[in-house]
Amino acid sequence: MDFKDYYAVLGVSESASPEEIKKSYRKLARKYHPDVSKEDNADEKFKELGEAYEVLKDPEKRTEYDQLRKYGAQADGSFQPPPGWQSESNFGGGGYTDADSRQFSDFFEQMFGGGGQAGGRSAGGGFGRNVRMRGEDVIARLPLFLEEIFNGTEKQVSFTVHEADDHGRIVARQKTLKVKIPAGMREGQHLRLKGQGSPGIGGGDAGDLLIEVELAPHPLFSVEGRDVVLTVPVTPWEAALGATITVPTVGSRVNVKVPKGTSSGRKLRLKGKGLPGKHPGDQIVILQIAIPEQHSAEASKLYEQLAEAEKAFDPRSKLHL
Amino acid sequence: MSNKDSILTVEVMDSDGSTYTLHEVCERGECHAEFVIKLVNYGIIAPVEPSEEARQWLFDVAALARLHKARRLQRDLKMNLPGLAMSLELLDEVQEMRREVARLNQRLQQLMD
Repeated sequence: MDFKDYYAVLGVSESASPEEIKKSYRKLARKYHPDVSKEDNADEKFKELGEAYEVLKDPEKRTEYDQLRKYGAQADGSFQPPPGWQSESNFGGGGYTDADSRQFSDFFEQMFGGGGQAGGRSAGGGFGRNVRMRGEDVIARLPLFLEEIFNGTEKQVSFTVHEADDHGRIVARQKTLKVKIPAGMREGQHLRLKGQGSPGIGGGDAGDLLIEVELAPHPLFSVEGRDVVLTVPVTPWEAALGATITVPTVGSRVNVKVPKGTSSGRKLRLKGKGLPGKHPGDQIVILQIAIPEQHSAEASKLYEQLAEAEKAFDPRSKLHL
Repeated sequence: MSNKDSILTVEVMDSDGSTYTLHEVCERGECHAEFVIKLVNYGIIAPVEPSEEARQWLFDVAALARLHKARRLQRDLKMNLPGLAMSLELLDEVQEMRREVARLNQRLQQLMD
């Protein structure tokens, strides 16, 4: 079993006062709260913080923990509790964090959970046999590629549910489902899979699985609401003279007419080529004039002639030079 | 402690079209109706159709997800309702700005290529 250094987790010294511990916990809890933080391991970090605070905020548990820390560390870096170890403080949730011991590590469970007995965790003081409760809803985030949003797809979703085992203890279980995602979902939209969340207790209904759709970045297209945006380079002569060019759409391509005398940044709207749905979005094409890195001698000569012919044009007239 | 399930294929039963009554949203959000009413009064969540009568309110899946989020923030960070309302609004703004920055960065990258 790995030893958990709760002082390091909270970023405080062993001699930190209860006030310092509380302050540090509050600060880090705001930083790593999974609903606030963008860091990949925020969920894990936040659970660790809750666990560390649960122990260090309680003088009795903290004293026990300090003893464990002193006597339990092995030479090889692993950890063994001293022989005959049993915590005096039975953990039952509540307190500042309203901590949920189901989330805590095996280390915590063995040291402080239910008098040092190894094994499953009982929730909030344990359920009676005759309690009937609806299972909790589970929210899972699902990143999708733009193409998958366009066409719909089938995805495997893994998530954790909590359920009671034969002894009425709450245990975590990984669940994996294959889900058909309909076409035209938007980022932030939710799908509901009835009864696929945590099972109910004592014959209560199962909770639902709520899937929140996220959009993975696309190398070409970006999405604004229901519109798909694409930057398309054109040559100076296409921009000046007008042209018909081929541009990609998601999963296909279309011919687009570039109007004569187009400036860089001009937007063209391709009706109905955005996200599909009852009211499909558009594709916005932003034209960008591209210049070859090197011109031939002949081209340079033509540009010189052009400069002469267009002398009157001052693109910087509004800069008050 | 965890065992792997066999993989099931399930159809999506409801997307954003499904709604919950006040009672259902309380049961799923594990909270009292008073809490949901306060969230509505603070503009943190909104019923699909506004109505004076709380019993007639219907909430969509997005509102339920927001209720879950509000409950977590209140529980974990000990926030009061005005703080919760402001935090959720700011979080929405931050999320929208992060998306915008990602979009603009992408466009900038394309212009540089």
